[in-house]
Amino acid sequence: MNIAASPSAEQAADRFARRVTARLSENNRLLAYDISERLRAGRERALSERRREVSVQQRVTAASVQQQGQTASLGGPQHQGWWRAALSAVPLIALVIGFAVFIGSQEDFGTHEVAEVDTALLTDDLPPSAYADPGFLQFIKTPPVSSL
Amino acid sequence: MATEQELSQFLKDVEKRAFKRALYHVRDEEAALDIVQDSMLKLAHHYGDKPPRELPMLFQRILSNCTLDWFRRQKTRNAVFSRMSDFESDNDDAVDFDLLETYAGNDHTQTMPSAEEHTQRVQTLQSIEKEVQELPARQREAFLMRYWEEMDVAETAAAMGCSEGSVKTHCFRAIQTLSKALKAKGIEL
Repeated sequence: MNIAASPSAEQAADRFARRVTARLSENNRLLAYDISERLRAGRERALSERRREVSVQQRVTAASVQQQGQTASLGGPQHQGWWRAALSAVPLIALVIGFAVFIGSQEDFGTHEVAEVDTALLTDDLPPSAYADPGFLQFIKTPPVSSL
Repeated sequence: MATEQELSQFLKDVEKRAFKRALYHVRDEEAALDIVQDSMLKLAHHYGDKPPRELPMLFQRILSNCTLDWFRRQKTRNAVFSRMSDFESDNDDAVDFDLLETYAGNDHTQTMPSAEEHTQRVQTLQSIEKEVQELPARQREAFLMRYWEEMDVAETAAAMGCSEGSVKTHCFRAIQTLSKALKAKGIEL
């Protein structure tokens, strides 16, 4: 059922309602003493409960700050944890790649050195078999004639 | 976040009205006191960190829920103890009359000079209170939240879990009923 009332009727109804509730408030002042006291006791209990809640929250907050103190300078919002973890892995990945490149270049360098020695031996006037000849080694160790 | 003083002042402001509202519903002083105390504890425990402007609506919702919980517990208990309901209904009437007699008795002794007028006034207040108590539960809730707790229509609708149109309808019917009942008793406001 739809109830439609004119503005003046609504205002009159509002005024009537306010007068009724004013009487209810007036009657509230006549509440028995023991009821008022029990309400006061209930209120005090609720407030002490709140005090306890606040002190517990403060202790929890202080403990979490102490635990997270060392990472606080790097800290950000907690929902960005995976992104931060990915970023923190970047230097590690770069280090691994650097090692791989370094090892590869070292291998190339060693190969080049061996190749240069081989080239020098092969292109020298002295044949490589001469180094295996005991007489040649003795010749090398012997001082030149001019120094005699 | 409401300070302790703000929460204390808020509870002090609403506790008597909350008690009366619970009493209109459950018609049992002890139960009404328990409901109000539970409501205050829940507000402080769960919503003590809310800003002061949110407290009235939160408290009204908690009070309504605590009252509903009380009725549910009564229903369960009555289902177990089948004869308890008859016994309780007798008690309700007795409590109701005791409450009214207590008011009349206390005030009679306090105001000797205008005793007759005062008695008439107290009787008028009691009649009004009785008529409010006789309203259907939803109409009474809407009426009291809207005009006694001074909540607007939207807040009342949110607290009652219904539409704003329903609140207006409940309020209008409550006012009509009260107006007729008080006029029939010859009470002019």
